[in-house]
Amino acid sequence: MNYDIKTLHPLEIRVLLNTGDEDLTSELIMEKLSFKLGQCNQAFSWLAAKSLIEEKEKKKRVIYEMTDTGRDLQKNGTPAERIFALISEKGPMKLTEINDALSLENRDTGTAFGQMSKDGVMALDEEKRACIKGSGISQSMKLVRAVLDKGIREGELEESTLSPDEITAISGISKKRGGGNSPFRVSEREDIVYRITASGKEVKKLLKEQGVTGEEVGSLTPEMLADGSWKNKTFRGYNVNTPPSRVLLGRHSPYAQFLDGVKDKLVSLGFEEFDGPLVETEFWNCDALFMPQFHSARDIHDVYHLADPVKAKSIEQPYLDQVASSHKDGWKTGSRGWGYDFDREFTKRLILRSQGTVLSAKTLTRAKIPGKYFGIVRCFRYDKVDATHLSDFYQTEGIVLGEEVTLKTLLGLLKMFAEEVAGASEVMYVPGYFPFTEPSVEVHIKHPVLGWFELGGAGIFRPEVTEPLGIHVPVLAWGLGIDRMALMSLGLNDLRELFTSDIEHLRLRRRSS
Amino acid sequence: MPKIEVYEDALYKYIGKRVEGDDFVKLLSAAKAEFDGREDDILKIELNDTNRPDLWSTAGIARQLRVYTGGGKNEYSFFSTAEKILDSGGRSITVDPALKDIRPYIAGFAIKGAGIDEASLKDIIQTQEKLCWNYGQKRKAIAMGVYRSDIFKFPVRYTAADPDKEGFVPLGFEKKLTLREILKEHPKGQEYGGIIADFSKYPYITDNDGKTLSLPPVINSNDIGAVLEGDRELFVEMTGTDIYSLLIATAIVACDLSDAGYEILPVKTVYPYDTPLGREITAPFYFQQPVTADISYVNKLLGEKYTPDEAAAFGRKLGCRIEVSGSKLTLYPAVYRNDFLHPVDVIEDIMIGKGLPNFEPVMPDDFTMGKLTPETLFGRRIKNIMVGLGFQEMVYNYLGSGKDYIEKMNIKGTEVVRIANPMSESYEYLRASILPSLLNSEAVSGNAVYPHRIFEAGKTGVRDEDDNYGVATINSLGFLSADKDAGFNLVSSQLSAVMFYISADYVLKESDDPRFISGRCAKVVLGGREIGIMGEISPQVLENWSIQMPCAACEINLDLVMKLSGQK
Repeated sequence: MNYDIKTLHPLEIRVLLNTGDEDLTSELIMEKLSFKLGQCNQAFSWLAAKSLIEEKEKKKRVIYEMTDTGRDLQKNGTPAERIFALISEKGPMKLTEINDALSLENRDTGTAFGQMSKDGVMALDEEKRACIKGSGISQSMKLVRAVLDKGIREGELEESTLSPDEITAISGISKKRGGGNSPFRVSEREDIVYRITASGKEVKKLLKEQGVTGEEVGSLTPEMLADGSWKNKTFRGYNVNTPPSRVLLGRHSPYAQFLDGVKDKLVSLGFEEFDGPLVETEFWNCDALFMPQFHSARDIHDVYHLADPVKAKSIEQPYLDQVASSHKDGWKTGSRGWGYDFDREFTKRLILRSQGTVLSAKTLTRAKIPGKYFGIVRCFRYDKVDATHLSDFYQTEGIVLGEEVTLKTLLGLLKMFAEEVAGASEVMYVPGYFPFTEPSVEVHIKHPVLGWFELGGAGIFRPEVTEPLGIHVPVLAWGLGIDRMALMSLGLNDLRELFTSDIEHLRLRRRSS
Repeated sequence: MPKIEVYEDALYKYIGKRVEGDDFVKLLSAAKAEFDGREDDILKIELNDTNRPDLWSTAGIARQLRVYTGGGKNEYSFFSTAEKILDSGGRSITVDPALKDIRPYIAGFAIKGAGIDEASLKDIIQTQEKLCWNYGQKRKAIAMGVYRSDIFKFPVRYTAADPDKEGFVPLGFEKKLTLREILKEHPKGQEYGGIIADFSKYPYITDNDGKTLSLPPVINSNDIGAVLEGDRELFVEMTGTDIYSLLIATAIVACDLSDAGYEILPVKTVYPYDTPLGREITAPFYFQQPVTADISYVNKLLGEKYTPDEAAAFGRKLGCRIEVSGSKLTLYPAVYRNDFLHPVDVIEDIMIGKGLPNFEPVMPDDFTMGKLTPETLFGRRIKNIMVGLGFQEMVYNYLGSGKDYIEKMNIKGTEVVRIANPMSESYEYLRASILPSLLNSEAVSGNAVYPHRIFEAGKTGVRDEDDNYGVATINSLGFLSADKDAGFNLVSSQLSAVMFYISADYVLKESDDPRFISGRCAKVVLGGREIGIMGEISPQVLENWSIQMPCAACEINLDLVMKLSGQK
């Protein structure tokens, strides 16, 4: 027989091992194995569910349960016993005198005396006083006393354990639940009688063969280790397929980990990280990037302006003068400029950083040559929030400076990103447009899962950007769109999910790559 | 970035041949354009270069593609220059001196030809919209009007008119309104009226007899300004604030209509004040200056070893004349282009002419050392400790509502930065604390198995008078426990563990803060400076958020911790 006995609970094992062909009842098991009734019932229902035992019949049982009244009578005597004792001691008394002496209700005294006189134990004398008649108490009184004493010992009396006389006696002083005060409460119960099934017998045989007793130790305790008692014990084998309970653990956000992974990758490629404030000026956000102040992308509806404070106190020099001149007439950059009067108040206006390129520009003022820099930074856009647009999100941007950087190294850089960061199998370049780079390139990649998409944009910073910031070598500027890869990595398709507040969603989120 | 719709047949007719499928998509890259799908016989194209308005029409994009594929250039002989002014045949525009401070410039030309058809009319309207919206800053810098020149008399008069005395029947209306009424009642008046509403006089165009052409930049008249299919003689006019972009826009429309087969007739504008190009300008007018690039610069940026002639040949594929003299390449911008500010712009034309796929990617070989910022490294240490303490890391948005960041937090919010032009109330403030983000998580996560332990190491922006920007950006750590037993003791133990592992000897100072239960709140003090706050979240705050579980939380300024504990 092929049965996994590890699915059996110790209670079930012990019941099976102690069951033969006889009827299997809770009394039997409680007696044999000192189970509590609850344990019995649990073991029976589990075994029955596994068809190792089956129901043979249902037995009705009548149960007499001792009440507080019963316990009181057992201790202090029934009215009849007390009357009999009183008269035996004090001699004949009137019924009313008995009431007073024993604090009994007239009705109770009457009932007790009536029964005793009927049984020939007591009688009324000529003066209508109760007196002893026979040689002692009656048989029925003895029976009542016997069942009361038994009740105290056992709490519950089962009818089948009582003699017919006792049954007569106890039923005379019992009422059903809700039937008023009485020494015993009578109720009927249904007991199921089980018997072992054929497969039950086989499992029992198996248990014996394997020497499983159900007495095996559940948990190893420090005490067992201390006193060495584990040496005499065997340990219960567990069902290894029982579903484990859930553990709530500390965890990194998978999105943060994805971003950290990209950072680590860029560091490994020789890039140094930059960062900066969330609030920026029009100067750094746009002017330093040679976007003219009248440019359509600088409309009120494209960036968030601060309500208060409205303007920065000052703009760093000499950059302000140099940028202003570049806009007006090109300054020393070789450009003719945009040909307008630069507004030095407008440029101080505070906004929420709308592009990571701001920090690329700021980095130029302190950059080493050659140098490679990057940042994954939060940016803010005036967009309606939906599955593909957020009001704030991360941008990945950077620069490469050096005497020898060219369009061809720009393409090489993009190829490196496409392969190393995005895992692309094919790369395609097309001319692009950004206000601050010339030439400009967009890189499209074929991703193994996502197919063709635009990975990012790049270019060589215009001299009107680099010269006013003190850089006289070519600067490659690049930006990567890694959100789609992040979504794929996290098995999501809605950008809002990257910034979810839902704890359970985040707890269950896994990374697919 | 503008998107245009073009009729496929019209486009191919202009190009001179059909270019379909992938070839078309690839070819578009020569115009920095992307194919955006099709609807029946209409192609949708997105133009990436905001500095190339000449591409934003069927004729314009076709012109670039035709030249690029070797289809030859159209000649545009109707341009005047400073040296050679063409005869305007009595067609002129006079300008009111008062316009100098309102909307100073106007340029125009007339056309004559076969009756205009539906497709051309649609294309003109599209060109007008794209030019005036994207390039003309929503008509502020450039507005365009087209009129039936057979029913009015030159000279056209560009005047500054009293908005309450002058009036006409605007396009699409039946009754005459004053100029001011038009701003209020006409849909275009409501949309564009703001550009002129604050002036005491409005720009106003009439013919020599005083018949109305338009109220620029708002609306044409309902008669002279109502162009219909079949019209053979039209007058095109543009007004604006910048003479150069105005003339470029005029040139683009003139070239488009010339390509469509119309004869272009110059019109002279006479100004009573100085302009950068003099007091008389005959449009279309070519003012662009040549740009010269040295071949060494070309080769330096492109990483190539071209001869001047090779480079010039590539550049010419984009349609501009390039002359070579020694090592110098001098590019003369096409009449419809003004995007050459610097020699790098010449280099771009050379690059596109050569074709990007023909450049071989080269790995940058400069040695540089990569590294993370100290803040990132410290943040990672902190995050690892938090995870070790059993916390789930969260990443939140930084914008939110005043309701969440201020009201529900029971604070006055004087340190919170408000956005002047929010898209919606839901994203009106920059967060000054991580705590509301954490509490928002609790508010939406009542069904997640407790206990909750959540944290974020992220940025906040706090008003700071000492900062040049008036706002300090702070790297901050916020953490929160929600549980029936989450109390001061718990959060204090957690903070203690964090501070132990970064060797920061802090003390707690009893404090009152409306976000926390009074008597169960403390300031975290390090090196004598307050670096954060912790305690049991006030039940009033929890009720504001509809959170039904006790919460204990802490927020500390990681930048200060780093500085004060001497961490690197």
